[in-house]
Amino acid sequence: MFTNGSKYLIGVTGFSAVVLVLYIALVDGAVGGVVALSSIMLAVGLLAGLALFNRDGDVQVGDVAAPANAESVGSSLWPLVSTVGIVAMGIGLITHEIVFLLGLVGLVAGFVEWVIQGWSESASSDRRYNASVRGRLIHPLEFPVLAAVGAAVIVVPFSRIMLAISKTAGAIVFILVGCAVLAGGVVFALRPNLKKTVVIGLCAVGAVGVVAGGIAGASAGKRDQLVEANEEDHFAHKECGEEKSKYFDFNAEAKVSMRSNPTATIEFIGGKLQARELGLNAPRTRITIQKSANISVIFRNKTEGEHRLTLHYGEKEVQEGVVEELHTCTQMIEEGEEQILTFRIDKPSIASEKPYTFSVPGVDDQSIEVFVP
Amino acid sequence: MIRHSNKRNAVRMSKTVRRISAAAAGLSAVALLAGCAKNAPQDTWQPKGPNAQKIDDLQKPVFAIAGIVGIIVFAAIGYALFKFKDRGQPIPEQTHGKPVLEIGMTILPAVILAGIGIFTFQTIFDLAKTDDTEMVINVTGQQWWWEYDYPVQEQYGITDPIITSGQLVIPSGTKVLLRETSRDVIHSYWIPALNGKRDAVPGRVHTLRLEADEPGIYAGQCTEFCGLSHAVMRMETVALSKDDFAAWVKGQLSLAASPTEGSLAQEGESVFLNQCVRCHQVNGLKKADGSPAIAAPEDNVWSGAAPNLTHLMSRNTFAGASWNLLTKQCRKDVWEASSEEFGKRYLAGVTEECLNQTDLRRWLRNAPAMKPMYADPTKLEETGGKYRGMPNLGLSEDDIDKLVAYLATLK
Ligand code: HEC
Ligand SMILES: [Cu+2]
Repeated sequence: MFTNGSKYLIGVTGFSAVVLVLYIALVDGAVGGVVALSSIMLAVGLLAGLALFNRDGDVQVGDVAAPANAESVGSSLWPLVSTVGIVAMGIGLITHEIVFLLGLVGLVAGFVEWVIQGWSESASSDRRYNASVRGRLIHPLEFPVLAAVGAAVIVVPFSRIMLAISKTAGAIVFILVGCAVLAGGVVFALRPNLKKTVVIGLCAVGAVGVVAGGIAGASAGKRDQLVEANEEDHFAHKECGEEKSKYFDFNAEAKVSMRSNPTATIEFIGGKLQARELGLNAPRTRITIQKSANISVIFRNKTEGEHRLTLHYGEKEVQEGVVEELHTCTQMIEEGEEQILTFRIDKPSIASEKPYTFSVPGVDDQSIEVFVP
Repeated sequence: MIRHSNKRNAVRMSKTVRRISAAAAGLSAVALLAGCAKNAPQDTWQPKGPNAQKIDDLQKPVFAIAGIVGIIVFAAIGYALFKFKDRGQPIPEQTHGKPVLEIGMTILPAVILAGIGIFTFQTIFDLAKTDDTEMVINVTGQQWWWEYDYPVQEQYGITDPIITSGQLVIPSGTKVLLRETSRDVIHSYWIPALNGKRDAVPGRVHTLRLEADEPGIYAGQCTEFCGLSHAVMRMETVALSKDDFAAWVKGQLSLAASPTEGSLAQEGESVFLNQCVRCHQVNGLKKADGSPAIAAPEDNVWSGAAPNLTHLMSRNTFAGASWNLLTKQCRKDVWEASSEEFGKRYLAGVTEECLNQTDLRRWLRNAPAMKPMYADPTKLEETGGKYRGMPNLGLSEDDIDKLVAYLATLK
């Protein structure tokens, strides 16, 4: 199958690819070497392709393999794909990186397919045999790529749909799509003789539906809730005030499952805040906490209504002249619920004019002083 | 001819055997004698407090039982070896098993183990108790030293939290509960004379009971491999009588006073402000403008902490309790003092004539040369510019003189 010259050149290509990978992995920051090695690899790869295509330019081999009365070969799609790739690369250079990369992928894929097809078509005069030769070489590459593309075609549009519709609608859509797939599977299983065109048609309708939905979803944008939360930075910021926060307090945890020996348990009992430090049994209003260590406390709300525990631990100059108050808090929890608060305080108490405190927002006269030595 | 050489070989062989057995005997003698070493402060066989005593009370009978079982087993093997030695006798009749013996030999060890198990669990639960605590101390491990801080506990005169390092000071005869955590990797606190080990794990608080019967110093070391200088991450627990402890607390609560105007120590203070305060806190130290100097180890040290030096000279050792702040003789006076004398000597701290200048200077000159640390200024990329340990600050001998004079005032 492979002629001697092409074997040699393919070998050199592979070797230079390995060297390139090693070079990138081991020598960092040297761009010149990467350019040189990849140029070598590309050039040798091109030569390998040519040698493969024209069977080392050995006329005799070709003559024997393809006698004059051979069936003429079919037309090929791959030159077109390669050309589109090149054009896309050009467009990509002036528009967007993604277009360039897609073009590159198209070019490489088209070129490889083209070479393999050309090579296989001159293998013998039997078309069927030629196709099987091509398949043996290219299928292990084609199938995984096609499968990945197929999965992406389903996953990407579907995720766009789910982000666009509301949470309840999302659940319903999920159930409906699941049912539809199941129903389709049952039908195909019960009627194995169903016409191939019908099966393909149904699948195509499904695929088009998903893609169309995805496009619609992407253009509709994310649902308002997500957009708003993102804009107002709810994912990054805890809202530690007296008010219940729409996002931060959403779905508050009510029970502590990991009791990893917290340093203290802080209870809000009948409107009074008190702390019990591990090992010290009497309730206290001042606790000591190690500096620069991750510390956890449990907060239990034993007072009517919803409350949170907030820790204030000084200020920090985030920029020249911009001082930010440092605080963290639990979510708002109902009476009888509990939550863990984990924090780390980097400055000793003496660094701050105001004492560090635990408090319950909205309850002014109750606080626990936190001393950091 | 052949016979001859065989004989010679045999002679040589027996010589080798003899040598090997002599060496083995020598080694085991050394090992045995080491067991009798007098100066073995980390000996697990000498409990000095009720918690260690509990472990001892458990392990001694277990060792005894194990020893008896071992002797019986070896005796049985020896008996079988001699009794059934091949003397050319015919092979005895072969039987298949002996159910009574087999069942018995299964049940007997199970019963022994269950018995040991009951006592073991009882001891484990006893040692995990926290509800009889009389005093708590936070213990924080980091590469490669221990920090201790004492939450406010008025009954002991601790009206403000106390912070120290290396030497843990406790009142004797008091049930102390350590609350251990770590700032970087897992460490383990172990004072063999006072209790078993307990890991200090980042993000968790583990408790360890500690109680010493008598005043004295009890040595230990980190027992969880924690990196480069694990071997010199030591610690000492110092037990003082209740009165002495109260005196110690009083001393620790005071702030560092500024050295007298124009003294060498005062020049040392300004070197300290320039070079050291970015990592080391000295409570009471003021910047030139009169505002309190606040250390920022969280920006300079990987673990986020460096020893608080306010009362450096109240401890006997430094840098993970691995080097002495006391000269040899003074250290001996403290360590070997009777339990009545001990408190007074310990509370004297490091006086001028007792200060071990050699090691302290060596430390200031080039700390990583004394204690291997990841503190090479050219290799800080991985740690985001932070040192693991104390770097070599390239101080001049002049500055070191001043610093030593200043540090000596931190009593
Ligand atoms: C980059 C931070 C850093 C700087 C700057 C620094 N140190 Fe340290 N120092 C440490 C760390 C960390 C330790 C603990 C090392 C250990 O024991 O493993 C330490 C330990 C010490 C100790 C032993 C304390 C004890 O109780 O064990 C002394 C004394 C000391 N430093 C003095 C100084 C002096 C004096 C200076 C200024 C010249 C200075 N250090 C500058 C980080 C620093
Ligand atoms: Cu350690």
